[in-house]
Amino acid sequence: MGRTDSLMKLAWAYGLHLTRRRLTRQSPQLKELLDMYAPDGIRPLKPAERERHPRLVGCINCGLCALAAGRLGRTRLPDLASSYMRLYARLGEASSDIAGDEPDLEAASAACPVGLPLAEVVEVVRRLAG
Amino acid sequence: MSAPSAHDVCVIGGGVTGAGIARDLSLRGLSVLLLEKGDWGAGTSGASTWMIHGGPRYLEFDWDTTRLSCEDAGHIVTIARHMVYRVAFIIPILPHDKNNIERMETAMEVYDRFQPLKKSHPHMRLTPEEARQVEPGLTPDLVGAVTLEEWGVDPHRLVFANVEDAVANGARALNHTKVISLVRDEGKVIGVRYRGPDGATSEARAKVVVNAAGPWVPEISRMGGANVELRPAKGIHLVYPHRISKFGLSAETVDGRDVLMVAHGGFTLLGTTDDDFYGDLDSVDVLEDEVEYLLQAFERIFPAIRDYRPVRTTAGVRPTLFKWRRYEDELSRRYQVIDHASEGSEGFVTIAGGKLSMYRLMAEETSDAVCRKLGHQAPCTTASRPLPGNESELEPVTELARSCGISALAAIKLQSRHGSRAGKVMEEARGGRVACRCEPLTEAELAYAARHEQVRSLADAFRRVGLAGGPCAGAACVIRGAEIIGRELDWSASQRFEAAREFVRDAWLGRAPVLGRFGWAQEELAQGAFRGLR
Repeated sequence: MGRTDSLMKLAWAYGLHLTRRRLTRQSPQLKELLDMYAPDGIRPLKPAERERHPRLVGCINCGLCALAAGRLGRTRLPDLASSYMRLYARLGEASSDIAGDEPDLEAASAACPVGLPLAEVVEVVRRLAG
Repeated sequence: MSAPSAHDVCVIGGGVTGAGIARDLSLRGLSVLLLEKGDWGAGTSGASTWMIHGGPRYLEFDWDTTRLSCEDAGHIVTIARHMVYRVAFIIPILPHDKNNIERMETAMEVYDRFQPLKKSHPHMRLTPEEARQVEPGLTPDLVGAVTLEEWGVDPHRLVFANVEDAVANGARALNHTKVISLVRDEGKVIGVRYRGPDGATSEARAKVVVNAAGPWVPEISRMGGANVELRPAKGIHLVYPHRISKFGLSAETVDGRDVLMVAHGGFTLLGTTDDDFYGDLDSVDVLEDEVEYLLQAFERIFPAIRDYRPVRTTAGVRPTLFKWRRYEDELSRRYQVIDHASEGSEGFVTIAGGKLSMYRLMAEETSDAVCRKLGHQAPCTTASRPLPGNESELEPVTELARSCGISALAAIKLQSRHGSRAGKVMEEARGGRVACRCEPLTEAELAYAARHEQVRSLADAFRRVGLAGGPCAGAACVIRGAEIIGRELDWSASQRFEAAREFVRDAWLGRAPVLGRFGWAQEELAQGAFRGLR
């Protein structure tokens, strides 16, 4: 009985939906969507970031990059790659951790056993924390 | 065996329902004993999708479940504000999907009527181009998308917050304590016999015994001379140690089920499966076929999914109510409060079925039944009384970080677990030295968990404060973690070593089904770090 009742109500809602779609003009909702979720830290990756993303999250936290190049601002490079790159929703509140001069990221990447492009990692984290 | 302790109520099962019942009853002024054979939330609650959701898919079967679920989700969002966060899903529609975009949007329009109950935003509809701007990794084949909003929560912290509040109101709560039998007097259930973590057996007398053991409900029922039949269903998840997308995604499996990729704090859960389970509830393995089933579903909408490295898996069993001749996915998520007096087992009550999103309501109705039996009149207050950590506004992150000498990110994580009590946690053990860098988790918080949050093993610390939960799966922190916990609990050197070894061995069981590519690089490092522990 419960299922029959549920399906009948859904069928009625479907009819109403189709009628409304025919009679009203739809406006784009993308901007509204992004504005709605920006305060919650839910912001999309850019297409180029998306393409490179699997490479950017490959850190295995071995610590070798810290030996090669040290810190970004107050943050050790392995922490940047293994922790900040997890892209926490509240990353924006942690932007002070990664403010400051960049170390020699090329040297750090050269030391990385899984070939993490640390300059790109810094770029993505800073954009999303900004 | 020492003399039995005496309580009004004994609750068996320290998942979210049992913990919720213990909190509810203790707030009503009853003396409560809560027993959990493993750790708080280590069973079905911890293996869930970590969501407080209304369940739009139940609209096809039972609108009342959706309404009740959304109503209770609204209460949970209010009382656990510091623990919950929005999860925005994109539901991409492909040609030949089970539901075309008009049918899917209809479902979301109906669901929008319930969304205000849980303080969520209504759905939106996106063109294929718009959907790919929101998530560029979506397949170009899509014909459109709709959005859906739910709430995420760490179930381990949610369970423990309920335990903590129950204890603050006079309850006694024991984890790693297994009920071995129920004490009966001419059929009436009058107490429990249990074995503690030290192996000692004890007895407790209670006017009412509540069976809230989740999938173990039938086993406990039999101890009380009653019969409760469930249809247990296994569900697994893949865990990625980072957000794959800032948005959640929904995909259709080869057999037409809906599965989710959920963006939580700093990680992603991908699941779940739903299969009848007949095996050992204490040893639920993940099969490579199940992993493949999930990846196949997501590869269709998000082709790059196989380029990402899962770090582990979770497996749990849902305590679904029994129903013959239904596919697993069609089974109701309703619950049932059963008074076994009619079967001759006076003083024995079972709560069966249900889901995380309705735990508070399930606890309220079970507590009502218990109070009726005891003739105790006191109203339920759990819908509005804040859980520990949600009593006041959160301190600004930068101030908390400065006063505790930790990074802003560590302060954010600290707040997500302890809310407005974050400063107090750090006060007890000054110093912001980090124990687990991936999380990031401070040594002070880990010591606090061992001292005040009933952490008795590294796995408990993983659940309570996220130790070893990040990309390196503990390679950098397990041994240090054992040292810190061992110092608090007076472990000898060999006990610390054994604790680390036990954690590494158990973690391997969850990691083995998903190793591949970078996973092996990680494993190589872990092997080096753990040399001697295996």
